[in-house]
Amino acid sequence: MTPRLSRRAFVRHSGVGLLSFCVAGCRLEMSPAEAHRRGIPFQVLSEDEVTTLEAYGETLLPGSAKAGLAHFIDHQLGAPAVDQMLIIKYLGVDPPFASFYSSGLGNLDAAAKARHKSPFALLSADQRIALTGQLAQANPDGWDGPPAPFLYFVLRNDALDVVYGTQAGVESLGLPYMAHIEPPSRWGD
Amino acid sequence: MNTRIEKVDAVIVGAGAAGSAMAAKLSMGGKRVLVLEAGPERGMHNLVSSSIWARRLKWGGEPVIEQGNNPIGHVFNAGFGIGGSALHHYGVWPRLHPEDFNMRSLYDRGLDWPLDYEDLRPYYDQVQTESGIAGDAEQEKWRPPGAPYPMAPVPRLTQGAIIARGFEALGMHTAPLPLAVNTREYKGRAACIWDGWCDAGCPIGALANPLATDLPVAAANGATVTANAMVRRILTDAKGEYATGVEFIGASGEAVTAMADVVILAAFAVQNPRLLLASASEPHPQGLANSSGTVGKFLMNHPAAAVFGLFDEDTQCHLGATGGQIVNQDGYDKMTHKASGAFGSYQWMAAQAVKPTDLLGISTSRPDLFGNDLHAFMQNAIRHFASMTAVIEDLPVADNAVSLSDQHDAYGTPLAQTVHNTHPASQKLWQAALEEGRRVFHAAGATEVWTGPQAGMHLMGGTIMGDDPEDSVCNEFGQTHDIPNLIVAGPGLFPTSAGVNPTFSVLALAARSSEYLLANWNSMVH
Repeated sequence: MTPRLSRRAFVRHSGVGLLSFCVAGCRLEMSPAEAHRRGIPFQVLSEDEVTTLEAYGETLLPGSAKAGLAHFIDHQLGAPAVDQMLIIKYLGVDPPFASFYSSGLGNLDAAAKARHKSPFALLSADQRIALTGQLAQANPDGWDGPPAPFLYFVLRNDALDVVYGTQAGVESLGLPYMAHIEPPSRWGD
Repeated sequence: MNTRIEKVDAVIVGAGAAGSAMAAKLSMGGKRVLVLEAGPERGMHNLVSSSIWARRLKWGGEPVIEQGNNPIGHVFNAGFGIGGSALHHYGVWPRLHPEDFNMRSLYDRGLDWPLDYEDLRPYYDQVQTESGIAGDAEQEKWRPPGAPYPMAPVPRLTQGAIIARGFEALGMHTAPLPLAVNTREYKGRAACIWDGWCDAGCPIGALANPLATDLPVAAANGATVTANAMVRRILTDAKGEYATGVEFIGASGEAVTAMADVVILAAFAVQNPRLLLASASEPHPQGLANSSGTVGKFLMNHPAAAVFGLFDEDTQCHLGATGGQIVNQDGYDKMTHKASGAFGSYQWMAAQAVKPTDLLGISTSRPDLFGNDLHAFMQNAIRHFASMTAVIEDLPVADNAVSLSDQHDAYGTPLAQTVHNTHPASQKLWQAALEEGRRVFHAAGATEVWTGPQAGMHLMGGTIMGDDPEDSVCNEFGQTHDIPNLIVAGPGLFPTSAGVNPTFSVLALAARSSEYLLANWNSMVH
């Protein structure tokens, strides 16, 4: 058995939750935000999917793209099922989850094109907000992916995870994080 | 190739609350015990304080196919790894009431248990002494007879005081929520510091999870706990009269046979029936212990009634325990809302410590908000939010069941599929509770009040106990009617769900069963 930890036996790691990325054959640890800033290549999501995902994330929760939403999801989609930390695991969808994101983002773009003849990422801010509000309520005509309101719910929570679910995010709300054990320096190991 | 390991006295399938408790008791009684857990090794050091990391503690095994108007939420409600779901449970430990044990006799609804409250009462007292509960028995005016709590109650912080005034304004009563959370150092375990990380697992041992309570006892008495051991079949003798052991898939994918005098299933309310049904043999074509055709049936899941509000005051809603600070059981009388067609008991758990995100976080209470509106809500709610949840009795329905799917896992074992539709009378009780909750929050001075959708918590049933082998799976000690040395432990035994959290009752039943097994070992064993 693992020995009991004493009260507040904090394990002080770097604290903000770094991901382990493969760059030119080397494993590098960095936060999702840093991975976003450095343009680290994606392993599962396509370029088009990332573009749509970040645009939708910014509509759902501004700041989520910069916080590394796409890198967080991409990293998790490459992790073993037993280690999954995406909220979708709670919601009745069986792993692997890549097809959920791929189909959902593809349908999102298709809905934007059907309505505005333009992919979601190229819509105006007002158009994005209006379409997002509609998709939160019901599937548009021609939608054949995961239910649009469900996609909205999942991606909204993913965006919340990277913006307000981390230690930095909690502290940005003015709350002390008060960890017993801080998240390890790598998320996916 | 099938490896055979040394025979033990008892093999226990599942290292959650029930399995760990049985392992502790039986090993203390001198039995050689092997516990097989499908999920990974867990230690206190794995209990990372993070709403995101906490998701690793939830079910990560074979998928469960869910159907019905209130699906059971298996991944969220079940655990995976040493400690099971008790590793992320909130430690709300009220007792069932005497009438919960006799619902069919008293109300002609549901089922009767094969034992009464007085049969279980000494074991409630025993478990609360062993594990520690903080509470105020006198203030809990609804509480059945029993020994006073060993620890002073949890503190009433700002959120608790705010919500309590709403109950009081309506002439309702509140008491400190009985929590298996230390308010002082207890048996070498630290006191809680009220930082609200219960859902992520308590690494300081203040909350009575199996890593802090029963598993150290089991280990000290020689029990072996093996992680990454997925049991796929229960073995019997050729005539199917006795269980002889289990076959499991080990960490490297090899098939292993573990022989034992007694086989105990403690793999929770879905995987226990799955294993029994998947172990069908020529003597037991419907599955083991299923001569009644009852295995898998009467699956239950408390509908949760969630009420949220915003207050002018700083509620300090991030402080306290995830389970809450105060309890109200004024609605425990099963006929309270009879006029609306509702039936059953319920209990409010109020003033829950919340985190910003995740399924039970502040953000998810308002799924309609996005964009800058969501940011504005988060900035405001983090200081002014309050919540409470009612545990609603889920009436037992035979058609709410676990069965085998025609889909199989990688080793050829059929997956479990579940159907759960909330009984109409339980649905009405859920609605009545929500309306009451709204009134409480308005009376407390909330500036905004809203409620959440129905969600399920606490899996029960599927291997119910009963006196009659014709309509139940197990007797009052969890011993299957058909196979005397095949035992079931855990909430799957419950014939009714009551209106309170189940873990305390699970542990009391496990203590009672263990005592019975030790006293009657030779008569059970082949």
